[in-house]
Amino acid sequence: MRGDITIGAGTVVHPKAAIFALGGPIIIGNNCILEEGTILVNRRKEIMKVGNDNLFEIHCRVEAPYIGDFNTISTKARVHHTVRLSNHCVVGAGCLVTPTEDEVMPDYTVLYGPGCERQTWSGRGKLQEQDLRRKHGEYLREMLPKFNRIRRTDE
Amino acid sequence: MPPLIEYHCGCTSLPTGIPPPPHLASSSFAFHPLHGLYFCEECDAVRCNRCVTVEISGYYCPNCLFEVPSASVRAEKNRCARNCFECPVCTNTLQVVPSDPPEPHSGAPVTISTVGEPPFFLYCNHCRWDSFDAGVTFEKPTGLALQLQKTEDSAPEILEVEKLKDYFEPALKQAQINQQYQQALAAAATGGTTGAAGGPGNVGHSPTTSLNPIHVAASSALSREVPSFKYSGSSRRPGLGPSLAKRGPAPSLGSNVNDIDHPTKDYKPRITAGTGEGLAHDAEIEWVSKLGLPAGEENGGGAISGISFAHKNEIASLEQRLHATQYSWAPTHSLRTVDLKPTRVPLRSKKSKRCPKCTHILIKPELKAQSTKWKIKLVAANYLPSIEVVIPTLGLTNPSVKRTGKEKDATPEDAALANMMLPGKTYPFHLVFSNPLYDPINVRLSVQRSFPPPPTGSTPNTAPLDPSAAVPSRRPPYAISLPTSAFPIAAYAEAWEYEDEEDEEMPDDEELGLNLGIGSRTPGKSGSGRDGKGKAKTVGILERRANVTKVGGEVVIGKDGKGAVKFNMLVTYTYRSDDPAEDKADTSTSGTPASKLGSARKDTNSGSGATDNMKTFSFYTVVDLGMIAPKEMVAKVEKQERRESVQTVGVYN
Repeated sequence: MRGDITIGAGTVVHPKAAIFALGGPIIIGNNCILEEGTILVNRRKEIMKVGNDNLFEIHCRVEAPYIGDFNTISTKARVHHTVRLSNHCVVGAGCLVTPTEDEVMPDYTVLYGPGCERQTWSGRGKLQEQDLRRKHGEYLREMLPKFNRIRRTDE
Repeated sequence: MPPLIEYHCGCTSLPTGIPPPPHLASSSFAFHPLHGLYFCEECDAVRCNRCVTVEISGYYCPNCLFEVPSASVRAEKNRCARNCFECPVCTNTLQVVPSDPPEPHSGAPVTISTVGEPPFFLYCNHCRWDSFDAGVTFEKPTGLALQLQKTEDSAPEILEVEKLKDYFEPALKQAQINQQYQQALAAAATGGTTGAAGGPGNVGHSPTTSLNPIHVAASSALSREVPSFKYSGSSRRPGLGPSLAKRGPAPSLGSNVNDIDHPTKDYKPRITAGTGEGLAHDAEIEWVSKLGLPAGEENGGGAISGISFAHKNEIASLEQRLHATQYSWAPTHSLRTVDLKPTRVPLRSKKSKRCPKCTHILIKPELKAQSTKWKIKLVAANYLPSIEVVIPTLGLTNPSVKRTGKEKDATPEDAALANMMLPGKTYPFHLVFSNPLYDPINVRLSVQRSFPPPPTGSTPNTAPLDPSAAVPSRRPPYAISLPTSAFPIAAYAEAWEYEDEEDEEMPDDEELGLNLGIGSRTPGKSGSGRDGKGKAKTVGILERRANVTKVGGEVVIGKDGKGAVKFNMLVTYTYRSDDPAEDKADTSTSGTPASKLGSARKDTNSGSGATDNMKTFSFYTVVDLGMIAPKEMVAKVEKQERRESVQTVGVYN
């Protein structure tokens, strides 16, 4: 970890995740899960804001300046710094979200496939997913301290 | 392209077994990598995937791994009959999920019950598509096939086919009966003995009936009795001749039966084109034209081009539509994505393969769908030594590894050049042989001269190529030198798989000089006795350890060399086998006699079984060492490298 980082309550950061606030500060919301190999980089001067309840899966790399709530960024995905994600978006596994100009992904966008096709989720099953995310976070919060040392944060 | 070796299967070549010269463009199909080849023990021959006979050993669903008996395969139209479906958008398998419970108003955390609430629908994990929009929902999470059965059976296409069948069936029967009738008549007309003449004249699928006069009389009587027998025009059967044009009283036409050729009643389909699922034809055109325009504007003949990005997802792509059509029996007529229905998962099959000549089974999988093992597995890798070829001095300076962390790709030319050979240089290469047999083998190599024959018409021979000999018609761009003596490879012992790496060197090995010492770190084999001394022995046995022998050869690239460096290599090996069978003298070995072979052959045929025979086997391989870099590319890359080394490399963490 490097730089000015603020992490909200209940967020789980795997010991092998890396957060680099090089240009500006990074603020992460509550109950996020950053799995192994996740890299969050902020090279710009502005604040990089990540919302609540997001899931960053293994080996993904995110440089987006703004991420909303309840998003899922799947394994080995790469999100460029020109993209802003709203809420409930899903970036599929291995997707390279690298548009040439700035773009905002509306809510419920799903990006999938090697060519990064877009779809819009109907939102059905949203509650179940929220529940699942919550349970995921709780489980991790319970299990990880048993096997790893926790870095004490001072509020 | 890194150097590689492929093995030759004789199914496509001339009966002499000599493979085609590798510089011909069409020769690549005759060569296969070792892992794709099988070996028949009875015929002692290599078989490839193209020459084996394949038969199906069972069907299974890739999703639920349920083995489907072959009878129900046909009934279910090669699909899984249980709850397996494919997403029409991204063709992943779908999951059955319950709907969300109703949200409480107070905003308190929602309790999700484990059973889930109806209605259940199908949901794709990958693209988040669900079947709600397509209208496919279920009441129970299990037994989906049954629930969908009703809708599938009443699909308009199925009903259409049923109706067509009903329409054509009596007409078909009629045609069949007519044929038999005419056959019988022809037999009667030509006197019965030559009744066979009527047979071949008939172009029909009716079985040949007995053509004795009694039968003919009976059938003609029948045709008089039953009015539905119809007499069709004589011109239909050209082979029967004009005698049939005159007949007895023609039976009257049945009113409710149609002739296929002259229908009195037209077939009326249930649905016309454009109706059925999805939108009707005109409505569809309108829908597509409206897609191109921003909301709120209505223009009947609007442009279809310029469909905005937001609407792209509403149109089903060609692959999506074909996927639905190809696999299910309900093709989507419409262009809309919302009309795409989930299709059933197509079944896959487990195949077993047989040798084409002796029908010995080569590959037989286990019957259970979830096991990936084999009951019978006669693969070539268990019989033939596996060969790897490495050019140790190439590929070392990999320009793409310039910075760590960031994946900056070097220019494609740099990467390609790293593996190319420069003209005018000499490259040593290593051939690594691994012996899969439990007996030690002796291997002998020879290069097949494979250039187009000179105009005098002499065929290429298999003598070892030495650099001084020049082919009169075309000078080869490279010269290969290989060790010509036989070298042994030790037997394979499974205990060695668990042993740590040890240096088991034979005293007569010498490692190459310094330049090779850098690059000779072939994976898994630690360098043995790297001496920086001068005497570099590049051609010959380099290293022997466990069941692996590394042999060195050399290739000299001519100054004006171009193209790929490929040559056919004949590998002959002899091994001691305990078969009581006769010694097979393999005549396709190279011209040089193997002295060991000659002496061993004397002590065969000594009567009782379990004598030690030396068996010989030989096979051709093609060795591809890579491309020779063309001069322009070399010059370009050198210029670029010079430029880059001047710039400062920016570092950021």
